[in-house]
Amino acid sequence: MSARKPYVRKMSKTSWFLTHARFKSYMLHEVSSVFVALYMWLLIDGLFRLAKGPEAWEAWLSFIKHPLVVILSLIAFAFFIIHTTSWFKAVPQAMRIQTGEHFVDGKLIVGGHYVALGIFSLFVLILAGVA
Amino acid sequence: MARSAKAVPWFLFAAGGTITAFVLPVMLFVTNIAPPLGLFGEALSWETMYGFVSNWLVKLVLFGIIGFGLWHAAHRLRVCAHDFGIRADTAVAYVVYGLAGIGTLATIWALLSI
Repeated sequence: MSARKPYVRKMSKTSWFLTHARFKSYMLHEVSSVFVALYMWLLIDGLFRLAKGPEAWEAWLSFIKHPLVVILSLIAFAFFIIHTTSWFKAVPQAMRIQTGEHFVDGKLIVGGHYVALGIFSLFVLILAGVA
Repeated sequence: MARSAKAVPWFLFAAGGTITAFVLPVMLFVTNIAPPLGLFGEALSWETMYGFVSNWLVKLVLFGIIGFGLWHAAHRLRVCAHDFGIRADTAVAYVVYGLAGIGTLATIWALLSI
């Protein structure tokens, strides 16, 4: 048996991220995946109902309007915004663009992403409004 | 050189993360937030939606969004499980990637029946 008694810092396996603001924001964007997964399955269900016919589709639409689903949707919307902003924030680290001897400023890359997000979102909203 | 299978989930995670970052906020607004507010009523009627999704390009785009979204979420959920103290990584991996696989097949099935 070893005589060593190494110091092991006590750290909770389930709530360690509450000890630091940076860990909290990390967990916040990781948890967004729960809502992404739920939304994907809601969309799959919607596609099946769309295929089935108008009545099934109407049932899906009334499910969307259920107060509990509306509350969950609002929470999901907040998490999607957290996902988008945290993802864009990490882009300059993952994508380094070199022009000549210099690298393009990270702020420019992130800014470009937000401009693209704005144009795309506007396009979808206009498409949904015109249809 | 050592070979690793990590490139596959990482590609799906990164591609899915980018696609969802651009698409999901406005998509969720149109499908889930606007209807209770009474917006886009015409656009979400069965006739309009069925006609819209019948287009092959729309089907391909929807498959891309849902497929990549599922695999992105699966990879993150696997990491999440570890972060919340669940250390059975192999079992977790089978569950999350398995569900993403089933979801991908279900998406293809649903889209082909429209």
